[in-house]
Amino acid sequence: MQDLSIPIAAQISMRRLLVGYLISLLVGLLLGIMISRSKYLDETLSPLLLGMQTLPSICWIPLAILWFGLGEESIIFVIVIGAIFSISMAVVSGIKNVPPLFIRAAKTMGAKGWHSYTTVVIPAALPSIISGMKQGWSFAWRALMAGELLTPTSGLGYVLIMGRDLHDMNQVVGIMLVIVIMGLVIDRLIFARAENAILYRWGLSRN
Amino acid sequence: MLEISGVYKTFTQKNGATNALQDVHLSIKKGEFVVLVGPSGCGKSTLLNIIAGLEKPTSGQVCKEGRPILEAGPDRMVMFQEAALFPWLKVIENVEYGMKIKGLGKRERREKAIHFLKMVHLTRFATAYPHELSVGMRQRVALARALSMDSDILLMDEPFAALDSQTKSILHTELQQIWCATKKTIIFVTHNVDEAVLLADRVIVMTANPGRIKKEFRVQLGRPRNIEDIDLARTVGQILGELKEEVEKVAKAELDSDWTLENNSFVPGSNTHLGNGI
Ligand SMILES: Nc1ncnc2c1ncn2[C@@H]1O[C@H](COP(=O)(O)OP(=O)(O)O)[C@@H](O)[C@H]1O
Ligand SMILES: [Mg+2]
Repeated sequence: MQDLSIPIAAQISMRRLLVGYLISLLVGLLLGIMISRSKYLDETLSPLLLGMQTLPSICWIPLAILWFGLGEESIIFVIVIGAIFSISMAVVSGIKNVPPLFIRAAKTMGAKGWHSYTTVVIPAALPSIISGMKQGWSFAWRALMAGELLTPTSGLGYVLIMGRDLHDMNQVVGIMLVIVIMGLVIDRLIFARAENAILYRWGLSRN
Repeated sequence: MLEISGVYKTFTQKNGATNALQDVHLSIKKGEFVVLVGPSGCGKSTLLNIIAGLEKPTSGQVCKEGRPILEAGPDRMVMFQEAALFPWLKVIENVEYGMKIKGLGKRERREKAIHFLKMVHLTRFATAYPHELSVGMRQRVALARALSMDSDILLMDEPFAALDSQTKSILHTELQQIWCATKKTIIFVTHNVDEAVLLADRVIVMTANPGRIKKEFRVQLGRPRNIEDIDLARTVGQILGELKEEVEKVAKAELDSDWTLENNSFVPGSNTHLGNGI
């Protein structure tokens, strides 16, 4: 018998989300950096990523279940897939749009290779990267719910399904509210704040 | 100290090739203040970038103290038309950026950064972010950053072009003082003849299509110079005369073929911003 209490379900969902999101952040960053460093990868992978992004992450669930079975891995996989394309594409476009003048200025001051990358290219691309991270997070959140609804083992999605099975309207609506509130709080409190702080510091905020 | 010999630069694009520079020879002595003037598109920036090592000549070479320049380096600092400050760093961190790469210690970096910010009168804004400064202040920070690298050569590509005339004239005075104090070799690009004569030991007039050196003028007036000075105005007039042909050539190439420049529209001295538009 699974625990149906909301705080525990929320905790389980949150942990999955964090794990999946961190993986997709790591892989997405690396993928984005690799693509932006190689013209060949850019030409071959970028259109593919763009195409993949249009596929709703819920469509990956059958494949995930075939690969990993009904369980934790499948859900994490879907979260990773949900966020990764936004993140890596934001990294690629952020790096592509770094003003060449910054790089020239850094060069004349003796910045080379990796150093110029970490001290100029990445910071200059950060506003774009952070907005990709924000978008990735909201996709990850949706993917998590889809995953938990379709591979019901535990977590908020599972409690929601149980609510349906028990014809418990209060539980269903209650969980929906919890999902909305958690999504909003994280988006406003973490991502919107980080984005605003970066935009302000970079001198990019409107007003 | 700088020897530019037989430099050609051709840009090849889909719709043809541009001879940005053709057979450019120029030698520049240590401590000299050289100004390149010419109509836009005559290859001034290209030449400066080649000296900076940001661009490679198609043929020919630039040697510094006998050694060919192969890449950009901190011995030739560049100031661009835009300040090119990093928006994510505070003013003082921007000034320290290059010194950090050079390997200066934290304390020394900070001291030098403050010293050069003082030189451009911006210590009050050390902890501000670039976007909080005016365009003129940002350009000053860029100057402080360039000076902090202790390069013996300073390359300046229309650094004051975007500034209002008051800020510009203050910076002209400051730049002359700094040049006298630091004995740097300065190569300065502008399309403003007044600015050229005000600053230069030697004005190099360039022509477009193909970009090459047309003539050079020595300016042997005492410093500090005044834009209203009668001798200065005379030199400006001579250079404008030389450039008039050029401007006409460029305009003819760009505009309809029956376009001509009014003969009397180039009266030297009647307007201190003569040549601004070329
Ligand atoms: N990266 C480039 N690619 C193609 N053409 C260029 C490039 N840079 C400069 N040019 C051309 O070379 C010529 C000289 O340019 P530039 O050196 O910028 O002139 P200036 O600084 O005197 O205005 C111009 O005709 C310009 O269009
Ligand atoms: Mg130019």
